[in-house]
Amino acid sequence: MKGFWIRLVRRLAGGLIMVLAVSSFTFFLVHFMPGNPVQTKLNTLLESGTPPLQAEAQVRSMYGFVPHTPLYVQYFHYIWQILHLNLGQSISYAGVPVLHLLLKAMPWTVIMVLTGLFISFIIGIAAGVVASVNRNSRMGDGLTMLSTFLHGIPQFILALGLAYLFTTVFRVFPFGAPYNAAITPGWSAAFLASLARHAVLPIAAYAISGFGGWALAMRASVSSVLGDDYILAAELRGVTPAIRLRYIARNAILPLFTILTLSVGFMFGGSIFIETIFDYPGLGYMINSALAARDYPLMDGAFLMITLAVIIANIVADLLYTVLDPRIQRI
Amino acid sequence: MSADLSTTSEAMKSSHIVCSVRNLTVTYQTDAGDFPALHNVNLDIQQNQITAVIGESGSGKSTLALAMLNGIALPGRVTGGTISLSQHGDVLALRGKALRRLRGPVVGTVFQASQNAMNPLRRIGKQILDLGRSHGYKDPRILLREAQLLAKKMSMDPDRVLTAYPHQLSGGMRQRLGIIMALVLHPEILLLDEPTTALDLLTQSAVLQIIQSIHRERQLTTLLITHDMGVVAEVADTVVVLYAGRVMEEGRTAAVLRHPGHPYTRALIKAIPRLTGSLDQARPLEGSPPDLTMIPRQGCVFRQRCRYRMALCDNESPSLKQLEDGHLTACHWEGQSDD
Ligand SMILES: Nc1ncnc2c1ncn2[C@@H]1O[C@H](COP(=O)(O)OP(=O)(O)OP(=O)(O)O)[C@@H](O)[C@H]1O
Ligand SMILES: [Mg+2]
Repeated sequence: MKGFWIRLVRRLAGGLIMVLAVSSFTFFLVHFMPGNPVQTKLNTLLESGTPPLQAEAQVRSMYGFVPHTPLYVQYFHYIWQILHLNLGQSISYAGVPVLHLLLKAMPWTVIMVLTGLFISFIIGIAAGVVASVNRNSRMGDGLTMLSTFLHGIPQFILALGLAYLFTTVFRVFPFGAPYNAAITPGWSAAFLASLARHAVLPIAAYAISGFGGWALAMRASVSSVLGDDYILAAELRGVTPAIRLRYIARNAILPLFTILTLSVGFMFGGSIFIETIFDYPGLGYMINSALAARDYPLMDGAFLMITLAVIIANIVADLLYTVLDPRIQRI
Repeated sequence: MSADLSTTSEAMKSSHIVCSVRNLTVTYQTDAGDFPALHNVNLDIQQNQITAVIGESGSGKSTLALAMLNGIALPGRVTGGTISLSQHGDVLALRGKALRRLRGPVVGTVFQASQNAMNPLRRIGKQILDLGRSHGYKDPRILLREAQLLAKKMSMDPDRVLTAYPHQLSGGMRQRLGIIMALVLHPEILLLDEPTTALDLLTQSAVLQIIQSIHRERQLTTLLITHDMGVVAEVADTVVVLYAGRVMEEGRTAAVLRHPGHPYTRALIKAIPRLTGSLDQARPLEGSPPDLTMIPRQGCVFRQRCRYRMALCDNESPSLKQLEDGHLTACHWEGQSDD
């Protein structure tokens, strides 16, 4: 158990460093971007007749830094603000704190991504086991081909295809918006049902885009575990097929946790396309519209949130690995 | 060959034969073609005896063990022969549940790589419970109590080793636990594939003693696979010498050690420092161990490494013939030598 805590603290420290690195990167990116947006905003305010002091205060509250103080002062000021969760104010939603916008957008993305991830993980693992155990049979080969195919389709094409097929060709699901606007939000059954119906396609887009990768990885992992001595030994000790399969599955799933890291990043990245296509007011949608409106504070904040989400997911995956693999705790 | 084995003296003892292997041939398919890892092997395992199978690496020992559990899988194939157990019929015909009931309750196995023969993610005790569930024990915890007693007897702390994960134990402990996992199901036959190979000499002799005492206590029938003539001399009642998948010699251990009939057996005995007395007298075997693809298809398979090679050896493969009662050897050479 001591190993667990040491590991947790180490991972949290690593996560904090990661957040600082990403914020620093954004700071310098915005700062050195051609047509420096901070300077531009300041100039616009000055030109429109705002008194210099007031203009500076306004820019500071938007971006967290003012152009004509020394760079390092700006930098530390900016980082200091971030550590206090002050992400500035949005430009396109004038005057609204970025944090406020992000906290409202966050649940949409996190719930959709995690649900999609969970479904793709479960189905992918089952498919991988079936494909591996039935290698050299038509079903196994078919599953492998399907996985390879789905793994190769870009997420936005998949999302567009799903949207076109199930909202236009077959009008099975509603298109756009997270729920029917005619229903008042609340804990009513009608509202929840509408929420669920609208969520089917975007979640399917996440799940299908992740499925192939899991299935292929699991297939390879099962094949390697099948060749391990303890599986043959269990078989020759006469264990039931169910117990044998459990031994195989648990040992084969373990290495997949290292890919979970990559997959979470991939899924959150995909939210930019999927939320835009299905009109969901999540982080991805926010990034896309902030990009269009040159709303840099909002963009930075959204990137930071996604970074944070990926880091947290990584820590959770890592700790899960520690719990599942008894050999880790020795290190 | 089987005619030789069913001589009258053998037939008299046949009531005590627990397992008899007849004309067993196992082939492995490789890119270079099909090669027999076992070729027309005959073998009788007597009740309450320790029978040793000895041979160099690649001689087909593990293949024989696998075949006895009907566990030969592709690229291997049993292409001929039978393995019959006195109570259970032909092992090679068993399928599904009947086969599962053979593995464990009838033939208990300790694996060559016992170090790696346990699920790394499950505590040893849990794995023993899995065995109980698999073999229809109403209360699988009976097996745990049994394992505790055995662990104590093998001078281990039962609570510690049964709640441990495999990686938390030493090689010698894992080996002993491998033996325990075979014994908790009370098998009639104990099959040990090189149970002491990965161990240092002290642990090795401790494990051998444990095997011997449990064999006696439970009146087991034991098949011990090894490449070490020293181990044979220490524990085996009967020995079968395997080379390139063929039986070269078999007989009572004392007789075979005293008057080895086959040049290969002689070389194996010479290779053991503990038997010859001193280290500089020990002579390693000349030539390289058999490689399936290099085994001659005709004549004696050992002739390329044999110092008594004759013209006859190139053409005709020697069949097993009796030297004395129950002591058989497959060699054309008949002269005596005492080098
Ligand atoms: N899966 C396989 N595919 C191809 N050839 C195999 C396979 N398994 C075993 N063989 C071959 O069969 C022969 C006998 O192998 P086996 O494992 O029975 O030898 P062994 O006597 O147990 O050797 P060792 O002392 O090294 O364990 C060897 O030549 C080996 O190369
Ligand atoms: Mg072997």
